[in-house]
Amino acid sequence: MKAGKLLVGLCCAMICTFVAASAFAQTDFDKANQEYAQGHFKEAIAGYETLVRSGPLSANLFYDLGNAYFRTGDFGHAILNYERALVLERHHPEATANLQIARDEARALEMQQSWPERYLQFASVNQYSATAAVAFWAGALCIVALIFTSRRSVRLIASSILSLSVFALAIFAIYEIDHGSKGRALAVVTGSDVQARLATADTANSVLALPPGSEVKILNTRGDWVYAALPNNLRGWIPAKSAELVRL
Amino acid sequence: MYGSRIRIAVLLGALIALTGNDVAFAESPSVTAVLSNSEAVVGETVQLQIKVSGAGDTKPPENISVDGLEIHATGTSRQFEMRNFTTNSSVSYNYTILPLQAGRFIIPPQTIRVGSSSLRTPELRLNVADSPGRSVRSNQNAQPANAPKLAFAELIVPKKTAYVGEIVPVEIRLGFDPRARPKLLEGPEISGQGFTAQKLQQSGENLETINGRSYDVVTFKTAIAAARAGKFQIGPIKAKAQVLTARRPNTPRSRSPFDLFNLDDPFSDPFFSDPFSQFGEQREIEINSEPVAFEVKPLPQNAPPSFSGAIGNFTMSTEAKPNSVQVGDPITVTSTISGRGNFDRVNAPTVEDDRGWHKYPPSSKFKNDDDVGISGAKTFEMVLSPNEKKQSIPPLAFSYFDPAKEQYVSLRSDPIAINVQGGTVPTPAAAASRPAPSTMPAAGATPAAKQDILYQLTEPGRVQSFTWFYARPVFWMAQLLPLLVLLGFAGWKIRQNRLDNREARRIVALQHEAAELIRKLRRNDVSPREYYAEASRIVRVKAALARNVDPNNVDAETAADTFGLNADSRERLRRLFEQSDEFQYSGAHNGSERISPENRRDVLELVEHLHA
Repeated sequence: MKAGKLLVGLCCAMICTFVAASAFAQTDFDKANQEYAQGHFKEAIAGYETLVRSGPLSANLFYDLGNAYFRTGDFGHAILNYERALVLERHHPEATANLQIARDEARALEMQQSWPERYLQFASVNQYSATAAVAFWAGALCIVALIFTSRRSVRLIASSILSLSVFALAIFAIYEIDHGSKGRALAVVTGSDVQARLATADTANSVLALPPGSEVKILNTRGDWVYAALPNNLRGWIPAKSAELVRL
Repeated sequence: MYGSRIRIAVLLGALIALTGNDVAFAESPSVTAVLSNSEAVVGETVQLQIKVSGAGDTKPPENISVDGLEIHATGTSRQFEMRNFTTNSSVSYNYTILPLQAGRFIIPPQTIRVGSSSLRTPELRLNVADSPGRSVRSNQNAQPANAPKLAFAELIVPKKTAYVGEIVPVEIRLGFDPRARPKLLEGPEISGQGFTAQKLQQSGENLETINGRSYDVVTFKTAIAAARAGKFQIGPIKAKAQVLTARRPNTPRSRSPFDLFNLDDPFSDPFFSDPFSQFGEQREIEINSEPVAFEVKPLPQNAPPSFSGAIGNFTMSTEAKPNSVQVGDPITVTSTISGRGNFDRVNAPTVEDDRGWHKYPPSSKFKNDDDVGISGAKTFEMVLSPNEKKQSIPPLAFSYFDPAKEQYVSLRSDPIAINVQGGTVPTPAAAASRPAPSTMPAAGATPAAKQDILYQLTEPGRVQSFTWFYARPVFWMAQLLPLLVLLGFAGWKIRQNRLDNREARRIVALQHEAAELIRKLRRNDVSPREYYAEASRIVRVKAALARNVDPNNVDAETAADTFGLNADSRERLRRLFEQSDEFQYSGAHNGSERISPENRRDVLELVEHLHA
């Protein structure tokens, strides 16, 4: 009896904490929005950044943060945050529109996607993950049924092959998207006058000038430099502090 | 046995005696004396060898004294030779002669004592010529005017005057005596102030003869650029090397037989004549060159606007791709600056009139034609995007200072014709279709932007995570559910199969039993009691197989129903069961009574034709 009361008390305390934290976050979010509305963009950025650091994260938070950066003329960070909003929510119309505007303003360069990556973009990694899980278990059930059935049903064999094919395709899609040009290694140039160079030295020959907001795919890190795949199928070294990963 | 040993000993003794006679009397003692060279110059050593053959104990002359020549004994060597069972021995006495002055010298005959007798060498003549620029040290403390060097450094600057920033190629030569087995430890470095030097590049290594001596010469190339005007001193070049040399003068050593006169030849140590007899000494030496005076003039004042500090002699070529674009599309303009000069100061050519164009920062790539990067081609790729209709790409300008002409030179590309279609830069449709911003900031606070972004969202929205679904623990926890379903399904199937197997085994046993009983019924040696009991058992087993029931629960009616018998067969089956029961329980017809063949045939026919 006492244990039951203790459990109920704990649940109530957890719910109250969660509600209080949400309310607190909502208050901070509103406050940052007010700063933005009053034209205090740097204060708004500070407020949004605090929320990003403390969590919870949402696409709208990154979208608003991107807007605040856009207003200060920092197109690199604006594009970075729009991209983060779109990673969290693929179909975020406001983020999509503002990202296009920011890219036009900054003349930012975009990474070219490979053709499998382009065609596999119709679903997200999460959707492919769920599909892979369902297909795997369906295939496993069919195989178990095949093993214990005396007469091999053609329908059962076809179902097994189909399920495992879907599973393999989903895994391939996850790998392609995750390791592709817009996958987990995608970064956005946030510094100004960034030059991708042939070697890890400021005096090395330049490969490509990267306007703020340009996309790069980080391949390797060496000290204060990162080796990155660049737009136009180029590769070069850029200072590590001049680019930030899209996925936190 | 004993006799044979004596005979062998006698033979050996005779052989040794004969051999001893051969050695003692192979040839009579003789002496020869030769000079390695009969012509020499002052200071050049000549070797004298006195060879005594066929003599056992000899005594060479202690001193050979000739005015104007310094003669020292340098060693003795013995040789043994066996030819056609004849052994010859010889002793060679070596001397080194250093001519101290020019003239014709006669080395008089020398007396060699051989046992109790003596031999005389022939008279030798040596002509010594004077050698200008070569002095002979007559005492140990005197320094030679042109003593041989282990290593040297040389700085070659082709130009003695240059302009500020002008690249001047410089060559450094380091020479080492190959016998010293040199190993460069540091440098070379160019010391001095007021100029910058590029990284040294080793450009070659070859063997050269300098003043009659072989040197391994390593050549380095670099380029220097003066940072300010004035008179400077370039160098000296400094380098450190490790060489193998003779021991230090303060350490006792046995000098080379070829350096009896202490010429301070670093290779006079015996190590160099016989590396295995003694070890040399590894020593670090510092190599310095002479400095070179250098004058730097300032650049003229009237520099053109496109001058960025390039000094040298350059040419420019330009091309653009594609030539037909839409407004807003990028055009890559590639300009190549080729020639000779300070390419680190060669910047991208400037667009003379960039109105109506959007310029992206250019990228550059340099391909050098030489070791130090003075000569080559620097290629710039600049992306231009037309904001409006254009007929041509504006000219590009590049200026440099030509030190040969001593004036600035401006290069200008020709306009490149292009075809630009469309009116103005398109705006994103998405932005145009959105409603007006609800929380737009105060006017004037925004930076100048041609297109405005959409409104701020006031709701934080759904909480989301950057972690992919498959990377979260909840995803893998959720997989436990289908796993349990799969395991349950598999377990159920396994149990089902086991049950099926048990039933199959029972059916097989019943079929086997029925076949066995039929076989028994066909035999004649069975008593009536057993015969009817087994016949009724066959009926029960067949009915049990057909109805999948226990055979003990089958009676005559059940069996008749199972097999769908007609009235006659049903009656016959009922009688069969009754007779079986009667034999089983009443005890009648026990003993040796036999069943009539008609009855047997009748029962067999009934039993065998029972089919469900």
